[in-house]
Amino acid sequence: MSHIHIDISGLSFEYEKGHPVLDSISVSFHEHDSVGIIGANAAGKSTFLKLLVGLEMPPQGSIRIEEIPVEKNTLSKIREKIGYVFQDSDTQLFMTTVQDDVAFAPRNYGLPEDEVARRVARALDLVHIPHLAGKPIYKLSGGEKKLASIATILSMTPDIILMDEPSAALDPKNRRSLIHVLNEFDHLRIITSHDLDFIWDTCSRVVLIDAGRIIADGIPDVILRDETLLTAHGLELPLSLSER
Amino acid sequence: MSRIGNAARNIGKLDELARRDTWLNRIHPLPKLLVTVLYLVLVVSFSPRQLTGVLGMAIYPFILFEFGDLSFTSALYRMRIILPVVCLVGVLNPIFDREPALTIFGVTVTGGVLTMLSLMVKGVLTVLATYLLIATTTVESVCGALRMLHIPGILVTEFLLICRYVSVLLSEADRMWQAYSMRAPGQRGVAAGAWGSMIGRLLLRSMDRAKALYQSMCLRGFRENSTLLPVKGLESKDLFYFASFTTTLILLRIFPVLELIGRLFV
Repeated sequence: MSHIHIDISGLSFEYEKGHPVLDSISVSFHEHDSVGIIGANAAGKSTFLKLLVGLEMPPQGSIRIEEIPVEKNTLSKIREKIGYVFQDSDTQLFMTTVQDDVAFAPRNYGLPEDEVARRVARALDLVHIPHLAGKPIYKLSGGEKKLASIATILSMTPDIILMDEPSAALDPKNRRSLIHVLNEFDHLRIITSHDLDFIWDTCSRVVLIDAGRIIADGIPDVILRDETLLTAHGLELPLSLSER
Repeated sequence: MSRIGNAARNIGKLDELARRDTWLNRIHPLPKLLVTVLYLVLVVSFSPRQLTGVLGMAIYPFILFEFGDLSFTSALYRMRIILPVVCLVGVLNPIFDREPALTIFGVTVTGGVLTMLSLMVKGVLTVLATYLLIATTTVESVCGALRMLHIPGILVTEFLLICRYVSVLLSEADRMWQAYSMRAPGQRGVAAGAWGSMIGRLLLRSMDRAKALYQSMCLRGFRENSTLLPVKGLESKDLFYFASFTTTLILLRIFPVLELIGRLFV
């Protein structure tokens, strides 16, 4: 059995009293897992990811990242281990050029400039965009922005990558190149999406959430082929699996 | 592209200018910041009637535009909104102060005209000096220089975030304007009845995006005392820049160069 990276027990959360977004969720994620969190709109997928990095606090229940509990005083330690890619790349990218944005985290962690440069080059290589290093952010296309967003967290050399709806607003070519990039990673990856074809192409495990509860947890070949299960929870078979 | 979109793009272009690799951009941000502040203080310190003294201070922006590989016409174009406003300061002075102050080639110039011109020149010069700083120094470097001056981290962070949020606010405003104009074809501007709700929505959306942006920064190790950009140590060229400009500016303040040159011909 591989090492447990994230251990969640009895996790509940609500924005408004009496309206739980997540309800008693218990689940573990292991090293090298590639997990797709699927569910219809407002199922609680994004909130789930935000709780893992302490963007929403405080939850009921416990979340442990590599044995460290997610609490206010442990957040900086936790966030060094996790790279979080926002759904909207414009939120992720705020510096002037791609290079500066990718260097933002290593510089904040006080690394020497030669190490920062090494990490920036490596991160850009991993997502195949070294040619965009000096390009201003506002001149990037949607697909380039997404890859640059991923590079900004890879320069932190995280153990875990969280991605919120990564395929949203990408054209087929950029979507394909993102799938290719993600499949090259060895990190524990947790991806939320209702793009089930994307999950099919990138994940080895699927967790179905509805109304804040885990409905199913298993391999894509079982869950994504179960039309009855998907339909009952506001989803449809991936296009690549459905009969035309 | 809408005017708001253009404004956002102009901010991006200014950032690009600041990241060029010219001798002026390579000067350490601390001496550039200190020289700019000194320049602003000295320009403002001239009395309202010392027009020749203020004009002499134009040497500083002239040198930087001339040797700093910056286009003066582009600067004027970028500041086409702020410069007329600056020039409006003191425009009523000629009405209130009609006392003759001096005579040039037989033409009497009143105190009001003199103070109006002096205020206009002061305004233009201070705006130009600020433009020169931001066109040759990135916001992060300015923040780094402020931290070197031991300005509290929280204030520097506020300054940095305001600079970041200006573009957020502009891009949100641009999106809303585009959505509005698509449903109000042929209409010039925003209808009076829609202003309230548009501004309210703009505020809420900007706050949401600003919050997400701040979260994104925090997730990548940002703290109020973060080293935003590696501010290198001062080199001899930086010290030379500081010493030469500081001396020149102080001399220009003490000795009104244009007046002294003028006296040579009288």
